[in-house]
Amino acid sequence: KVTLNFLLPHDSLFEKEEVDQVILPATTGQMGVLPGHVPTVAQLRPGLLEISKDSEITKFFVSSGFAFIHANSVTDVIAVEAVPLDRLDPEEVKKGLNEYVAKLAAAESDEDKAEAQIGLEVHSAMSGALGV
Amino acid sequence: MSTAAAAPFWRTAGFTYLRYANTCATMVRSCLKEPYKSQVAAREGYSYKLVKWDNGTQQKAVVHESEAAAH
Amino acid sequence: ASQLAVKNRMKSVKNIQKITKAMKMVAASKLRRAQEQLEKTRSIWQPFTALLGDAPATVAEKSLTITVSSDKGLCGGINSTAVKYTRAYKRWLDQHDVTAVAENPKPLVDIAVLGEKGKAQLQRDLSKSLVLTAVDYSRVGINFSLVCEMIDQIMKEKEYDVYRVIFNRFASTISFQPTVATVLSATTLQDQLEGGGSLEEYEFEGTENGAAEVLQDLSEFHLASVLYNGLVENATSEQGARMSAMDSSTRNASEVLEKLTLNYNRSRQAAITTELIEIISGAAALEAGND
Repeated sequence: KVTLNFLLPHDSLFEKEEVDQVILPATTGQMGVLPGHVPTVAQLRPGLLEISKDSEITKFFVSSGFAFIHANSVTDVIAVEAVPLDRLDPEEVKKGLNEYVAKLAAAESDEDKAEAQIGLEVHSAMSGALGV
Repeated sequence: MSTAAAAPFWRTAGFTYLRYANTCATMVRSCLKEPYKSQVAAREGYSYKLVKWDNGTQQKAVVHESEAAAH
Repeated sequence: ASQLAVKNRMKSVKNIQKITKAMKMVAASKLRRAQEQLEKTRSIWQPFTALLGDAPATVAEKSLTITVSSDKGLCGGINSTAVKYTRAYKRWLDQHDVTAVAENPKPLVDIAVLGEKGKAQLQRDLSKSLVLTAVDYSRVGINFSLVCEMIDQIMKEKEYDVYRVIFNRFASTISFQPTVATVLSATTLQDQLEGGGSLEEYEFEGTENGAAEVLQDLSEFHLASVLYNGLVENATSEQGARMSAMDSSTRNASEVLEKLTLNYNRSRQAAITTELIEIISGAAALEAGND
């Protein structure tokens, strides 16, 4: 089993939860964590995090953060924000995506451009996770 | 150190990681359904008065406020 | 006249007691809310400590101490304790030579202060070390956004090798532990990584170009988590300390009131007795005259 700690600054979603597998949205792509995984520090990008326990899958959307996989299969996931996937509103996501496409086109300063680009990254990830 | 090309776009634009991460979190929260969206509003509002010091002298105080708190 | 003075005194003590009692009630309800927030955030720094360890004794070329204090007073000694620790750390670091790592053998020890009360004390003797102060930070609320925004301001100013966050950890309404949490910068972590520290056994994902970029992000995230936890711990301690300070003021007022009441009653009784004696002896004199 993988011992999962899933922490946010404002809440502890899981503490010492025994689970079968965790799939993380690492910056390098989706990454599966099974018992006995090699000790790893992975940076998370906005994306889908899936926890499998007793053939049930719980899906979260995480905004960004880190995951530490320790040698004893303890896995710490720390995210700034994480929400159950079904709490995201597909309409808002679509609206946001269009908004940031327009903002990126109109952005003049480097700062505005970066902000719009982050918006694009986050909203496309949400849209992908929701399949809309 | 990593090469400039390896740095993510936001770092190149002068963002710290925390500004990037905080922006991402705000965007995710803005796409929540109700009533969840209203429930998490408290995670964003802030306000404080910042003073920078230069060799023992206070510079002018500047109020920093989130958009949510300013309205 | 002295009876009137005692009565006035009693009235003002009663008024003070009313205020301290109300402040105690407010602090108690704020404490409950703060404790709820604290309960949920207490674990956030643990993974970082598990991965990176805690190295409070790290002496580096450039360090920043972030002192967490409250904006408002009447909360016992928690702010003085944080200030005392800040001064002690500054003195201790000043005694060190960092010749091994720098051309300038004396380490640079900068200070940032959050909260009006700590600022007021530290600007008296350590103003030259201050880089940034932030006050009025708890009015809207303490959250991760606030912390990200404040650290963003700090990091824009200068780069440091080591960060220390000094705050009061909440133990109970009457007990607070002054705490120093240490956060190492990316470059310091990199040195540790190359020097065969505990980090070495971990693989770093997405670091074809070296771990530096990830370490920078990790270090910032670590600092924000520690500072957020510190702010919530300190705010809880503040309400706890205020509640017990107001509680003892209220009790103290009760004692004073009791003494004054006793005094007042005694002098009133003395006055009545005198009056009675006068009446009785007057009556006796009249009776004697009638005989």
